[in-house]
Formats: sequence, structure tokens, C-alpha cells
Amino acid sequence: MIGIATFFSHFGAIRFRQDCQSRGVPAKAMPVPRDLSSSCGTCVRFEGEPPARPPEEVEQIVEVTDSGYRVLYRAEG
Amino acid sequence: MNDKKELPVALAAGLGIGVIAAVLVLLGNPANMGFCIACFVRDIAGSVGLHRAAPVQYIRPEIIGLVLGSLMLALVRKEWSPKGGSAPMTRFVLGFFVMIGCLMFLGCPFRMILRLAGGDGNALFGLAGFVAGILCGVFFLNKGYTLRRTYRLPTAEGTVLPAIMVALLVLLALAPSFIYFSQEGPGSKHAPLLISLAAGLIVGAIAQRTRLCMVGGIRDFVLFRETRLLLAFVAIFAAALVCNAAFGNFHPGFAGQPIAHTDGLWNALGMMLAGFGCVLLGGCPLRQLVLSGEGNADSAVTVVGLLVGAAFAHNFGLASSADGPTAAGKAAVILGLVVVTVIACLNTFKKEN
Repeated sequence: MIGIATFFSHFGAIRFRQDCQSRGVPAKAMPVPRDLSSSCGTCVRFEGEPPARPPEEVEQIVEVTDSGYRVLYRAEG
Repeated sequence: MNDKKELPVALAAGLGIGVIAAVLVLLGNPANMGFCIACFVRDIAGSVGLHRAAPVQYIRPEIIGLVLGSLMLALVRKEWSPKGGSAPMTRFVLGFFVMIGCLMFLGCPFRMILRLAGGDGNALFGLAGFVAGILCGVFFLNKGYTLRRTYRLPTAEGTVLPAIMVALLVLLALAPSFIYFSQEGPGSKHAPLLISLAAGLIVGAIAQRTRLCMVGGIRDFVLFRETRLLLAFVAIFAAALVCNAAFGNFHPGFAGQPIAHTDGLWNALGMMLAGFGCVLLGGCPLRQLVLSGEGNADSAVTVVGLLVGAAFAHNFGLASSADGPTAAGKAAVILGLVVVTVIACLNTFKKEN
């Protein structure tokens, strides 16, 4: 699957990308797509499975589908 | 909006905003000041008596429109979301010193572009400092800087700043005697109320849609080689430049530029402080207004920081004038650079505390 994770901080994205790459999941940091959010931070686009327990810096994880985004995880609060 | 459409939309937005800014000058706003978030917030501070610098007192409808335009489009697009709780007092202090930096230079990043488009070469020093400040901020971002997460808040929290903007609009329309309006100087120069308000509403909506942000443009280019936001500002510059030339408002040079001074070092250091602070805040003053309209209480607190910073700048002689920077202003900018660096360090290297 292709997924996109958004974060509460830029550094959270950098750490997530490193974690993906250490698991052999290709990942790239980039600006958050406009159609995903009106916020303007850093997201990570990855090709593979998301982590079973997303770290606390993760705001949400979505799967990119032909019909749009499907939410897989969203931080509480 | 998919990725392929984002660039043309951003370019069109930039062109439209550049034209609007130039037309506002034609209709009465001060030269090279179709929009200036710092100057306009400063004028509002004066108008409600937070400072008594008589030439810079006016409730600028553009600021009101920016917040309300963003609010309206966010509501239509179901993106309005009250949230906050991410180090609000730190954001207040950052907003305060961003304003100190802007008033050293005499303009926000937006006006820096408009000054360039009017031929003001002094803004080149500001741009150099601004980029340097952003690079400082990016250094800390990559080292782990964070003001921690935001949280969903009650609806009322997200409506406070827009409600204040509506109250300001009422005060502007009624013009009661306790509100100060400049009789001369930059504050006395303004486009008609409804046109200024409409311009603000349009630009606010455009900025909400495109996430326009001068800091974000340079930051994204440095971090990702992403040029979309940066090109939007190039489009603002190009459109304003063409309009200024057509309207006879393009006067290239350094000396005698409108509402500007020629001290290159302090132009640069002022915008360095602004750029550094804005990266730590996550956006330029324009972006803070737009996020406030979307319900972001942290950005609203930042706007209050800008307002108080403007009041201090004029109450204590920190703001520059056409004659140049003041000694107190230079001290305040140096203090600001120190404070912003300390904030960056505390939120980068001691995150667990």
C-alpha cells in the first residue's frame, strides 16, 4: 500500500522516515498535500505497511486509494 | 486539489494578490504597502490606543478581511477546526519579537516583496537577512525543534479572534471618539473601507486555499526543493512589478524610498529576526492570520503577540523610521535574536522537560 503520515512536528516526520527506512519501507518526507490537510507541515509518503503502534508525533496516517484517502489512524484529542 | 493542480493554482493566486496589492496603493494605501501585516497590525494597535504614535493609527480592514476570509472559506470547505495548546506563551513571545524585527525593517515578509516590486533596493538586504533567519530556523527543525502537539479545543476558543475582528470592524464603521485615526502620515492613507475589506476577504480566502506563506516557501525549498509556495510569491512580485510600472509607481533605487530606510545591516538583521521567529512559529504573519481564521488558537495568540510587539515598538522608540533605526531598536533586535535562539535551543535539546 501507499500511505501518507502527517505529524505534529517536522522532526517527528524525519524520525518516522528513518524508522520506515530501517524497516525496509521506502519513504520520503515532503510537504503535506493540500487535499489532505489545510496545515502546511511535513508529511512522509511511504510504500508498505505502517507501524503497528504509531509514535506519539504522528497526527494521522492515511492510505492513498484510487478514490482518495482512507484514514488508518488518527491521534486522539 | 490534486498535486498537479497545486502549482497553477498557486501561481494564479500569486498573480491575483500582486494585482490587488498594487491596486490598493492606487486607491489610497501607502506606497509599496498594498498589504503589510506588520504595519497594519501596528496601525490597529495605535487605533485602539495601545500606542500613541499619531501617524500610524487606523483600523485596517485588510487585516479583518484576511481573518474572516480564511474563516469563511474554511467553513465552506469543512476545514474549520478549533485547536491549540501548543506552547501558547512561547508563541506569544515569538510573535512579539517577529514584530520587533519587522518594524526594524519597516515591513513584514509580504511587504518586503511589495517593496522590491516598487523598486526599493533596501528590501534586498531584508531578503538576505530573511533567508538567513529561515536557515537558522531550519537548522533547529532538523535537530528536533518542536513546540509539541496541538489539541482539539471547544468551538468558542476558535471563534475569539474572528469575533474580535468583527468588533474592530464595528468600531471602524462607527468611528467612536475613543478610537484614534491618523490625520497625517501612513495611517491616514488608506483605500476606501469596503474595497480594503473586500481585498482582505479575497486574499484571506486565497491564502487559506493555497496555504500561502513566505516563510513556508523558502523553508519548503530548503527542505524538499519544493517550489510551489516560493513561486507563488514570485508571482506576487511579478504582478505587483508590472502593475507598479503601469501605474507609475515603480521607482528603482535605495534613497528616498517610501516608508523605508537605507541602513542595510539593520534591514537585514530585522528580517533575520523575523525569518528565524517565523520558522519557529511555523509560518509568516500572514499565515498566522489565516490559521487564526481556521480556528487555530495558537496562531491567534501569536497575532496578539504581534499586536503587543507593535505597541512596545512605538511606545519605546524601537521602530525604525525613514531616518533609520534607533539605538533602542537595535538593542531590541539583538535581544530578540538572543531570546529566539534560546527558545529554539530549549525546544530542541531539552524536549523531555
